Amino acid sequence: MNRRNALKNTGLLTGGTVLAPSLLALFQSCQAEPRLDWQPEFLTEDEAVFLAEFADTLLPTTDTPGALDVKVDMFLDKVFAQAYSSDAQDQIRREIADFNAGVQEKYGAPFADLKPEDRAAVFQAAEAESGKYAGQVWGTRVGEEPPIGFYRSLKLMVISAYLSSEQIGTEVLRYDPIPGGYDPCMPLESGDKRWTL
Amino acid sequence: MTKNNFLNWSPVLTLFLLTFNDSFNVKHMANFNIDAQKDVTYDAIVIGSGISGGWAAKELCEKGLKTLVLERGRIVEHVIDYPTMNLDPWDMELRGGLTPEEQRKHYKGIRTGFIGKDTEHFHANDEENPYTEDKPFLWVRAHQMGGRSILWGKQTYRWSDLDFEANAKDGYGVDWPIRYKDIEPWYTYVEKFAGISGEPLGLPHLPDSHFLPAMELNCVEKDLKQRLEKNFPGRHLIIGRCAHLTVPHNGRGQCQYRNRCSRGCPYGAYFSSNAVTLPAANATGNLTIRPFSIVQSIIYDDQAGKATGVRIIDAETNEAIEYKARIIFCNASCLSSTQILLNSKSSRFENGLGNDSGELGHNLMDHTYRIGAMGRVEGFDDKYYKGRRPNGIYIPRYVNLDDATKSDKFLRGFGFQGGAGRGGNREAANIAAFGADYKEQILQPGPWEFFITGFSECLPYHENRVYLNNDVLDKWGQPTLSIDAEFKENEKALNDRIQVDAVEMLERCGVKDVVGFNNHHEMGYGIHEMGTARMGRDPKTSVLNEFNQVHGAENVFVTDGACMTSSSCVNPSLTYMAITARAADHAVSELNKQNL
Repeated sequence: MNRRNALKNTGLLTGGTVLAPSLLALFQSCQAEPRLDWQPEFLTEDEAVFLAEFADTLLPTTDTPGALDVKVDMFLDKVFAQAYSSDAQDQIRREIADFNAGVQEKYGAPFADLKPEDRAAVFQAAEAESGKYAGQVWGTRVGEEPPIGFYRSLKLMVISAYLSSEQIGTEVLRYDPIPGGYDPCMPLESGDKRWTL
Repeated sequence: MTKNNFLNWSPVLTLFLLTFNDSFNVKHMANFNIDAQKDVTYDAIVIGSGISGGWAAKELCEKGLKTLVLERGRIVEHVIDYPTMNLDPWDMELRGGLTPEEQRKHYKGIRTGFIGKDTEHFHANDEENPYTEDKPFLWVRAHQMGGRSILWGKQTYRWSDLDFEANAKDGYGVDWPIRYKDIEPWYTYVEKFAGISGEPLGLPHLPDSHFLPAMELNCVEKDLKQRLEKNFPGRHLIIGRCAHLTVPHNGRGQCQYRNRCSRGCPYGAYFSSNAVTLPAANATGNLTIRPFSIVQSIIYDDQAGKATGVRIIDAETNEAIEYKARIIFCNASCLSSTQILLNSKSSRFENGLGNDSGELGHNLMDHTYRIGAMGRVEGFDDKYYKGRRPNGIYIPRYVNLDDATKSDKFLRGFGFQGGAGRGGNREAANIAAFGADYKEQILQPGPWEFFITGFSECLPYHENRVYLNNDVLDKWGQPTLSIDAEFKENEKALNDRIQVDAVEMLERCGVKDVVGFNNHHEMGYGIHEMGTARMGRDPKTSVLNEFNQVHGAENVFVTDGACMTSSSCVNPSLTYMAITARAADHAVSELNKQNL
């Protein structure tokens, strides 16, 4: 059983509630179970759980696959492990810790342990605080860019990993590897998906 | 060079470069003759196999000369050696991302912002091939057969007398020894073979090429074209003129709109040495190409008063070998050709072959870009496009054409490249939302955006120079280049005007939320290095004559970017092709007359 679901299912764990001994036992027994069904290459288990919950909150499963259905968390762990310099690795680790410390201070628990409405509140606050990306063309920035911050840069990584996954690319978006020609003006109906490539 | 591949608004962030898996019939071309060991004497030697070297090889082989092409890198056979041409993002381990080791290998080139796993193997190893930046200068190199012709941006425009007369009129640099009429037939000649698509416009300062059918503007670009041409009489918005086939041509297939050009095109739909000129050279039976051949110097015979051959170092074995030939074409790229000439010392030429004038290595030019504007376009939410067009729009030069358009702030001019497309991941990440509805939103095309970025001419300044650095040696113990060059006041004044005009044009054409940008950049980012062995009328002030022959070593020809006397504001590669074909024709004619 996943700890988050266990707590959610009890319906009792709200901020500051003192845990009854029976609940504590439940907590502990669940905690002994593995919280991941995969072995991260770079992230610690807690960090990987955080990343999974962040991605799931951002892009949940609905009729279309969510971030975790296409293993965004596993892919980003690989990116951190294989594409990041040690400085960048230190930074991502520090940023996850700082983000969680802020959440802990306000809610008394790390992000992964919050109930959905609290996670939404955390994201809403982060949205308001976080700078927005300037445009970019040909590897150069269009105009000034404020500091982006951890929330939006991780958001960009999650959606990029999601949209570049095989399942989204071939089953959800419109996949046309060899267009063969150029249609400069085709109609777009409401709800039509974008091209994969 | 690869810049135009970033015109499309791909849904996938550059962090994970794009890519897929199609199947097609691989056509194996005849293998190249790479056995240069058995014979050290040729009619002609061509140093380098990029855009100009490929043309030199084709022309010389077709005229019957046994030709040795010396390539410092490996063989890259068309199609066979394009390992990433069909990869989708998910086919690559990090979806196009580079490991720290790969990033280190390209620690200079990575500043371009467009080296990913899909093209990394076509970029030179910066650690093994150092150069020194006295002032910041990005030198993008591609050390393999085909060179940067695999990676280039493929924008192709004829130059005009506005360009060839520019130095003579304002006194910067020296006068070009040629005019448009001298090169006009050679433009036609190379265009007919290379295949250039575009739309005729009839502008005297941007002469029309011999065109294949033009690619199409998308609906937003068409709308903006009408608004721009109405609001700004005398300015034009056209589809880019480019070396992409829009119809089958000379046995090559037309563009399939995949926009994976810089990985190598399986259809041969864009011009590269690998797909176009070298196969033609090879078909004559006169071509030998020797890979892993680093040219150390050109050998000059003081008594005969001409070059007799080329000294190379085998990059793999470090063996030193000399090859002999009657004529030598130096096409290693602007700065590499200059490096070879500087390193070719003899008692006649103590400061480098052809350097009587002292101008060898000087007058380095590039184009400025990364200055322009971008904004959102409304009213086309129900319109989209199909196909990833490897081409954008072009706004030809409209300043300093005549008295009416004369600026008192700067000399010369600029043009714009750009395009319209629907937004990608960064725009999606900026949306202040998350959750189920947000996910549906980012699966749909983003807002329409339009941008233009100016390319401005750079004046030839004697003090913008490269020189041999004997303190920093490369992996083979050879002196490297130091680069000491910068844009100056005239280029900055051009850039200031570019930004003002870019914002004004977009705003007056109804583009919303227009943001101007002026990211002053170092030289080199234009990847249009030119001028360090310039052509001229006078041996006292130039390195090459009107047929690209080295003054004092007339059987050596330099026809890459080094030969350029001014820089124009339009892309130079088509002019390299035409100048090379013209010089090769002259070389063979002189050989036949026993003049070389």
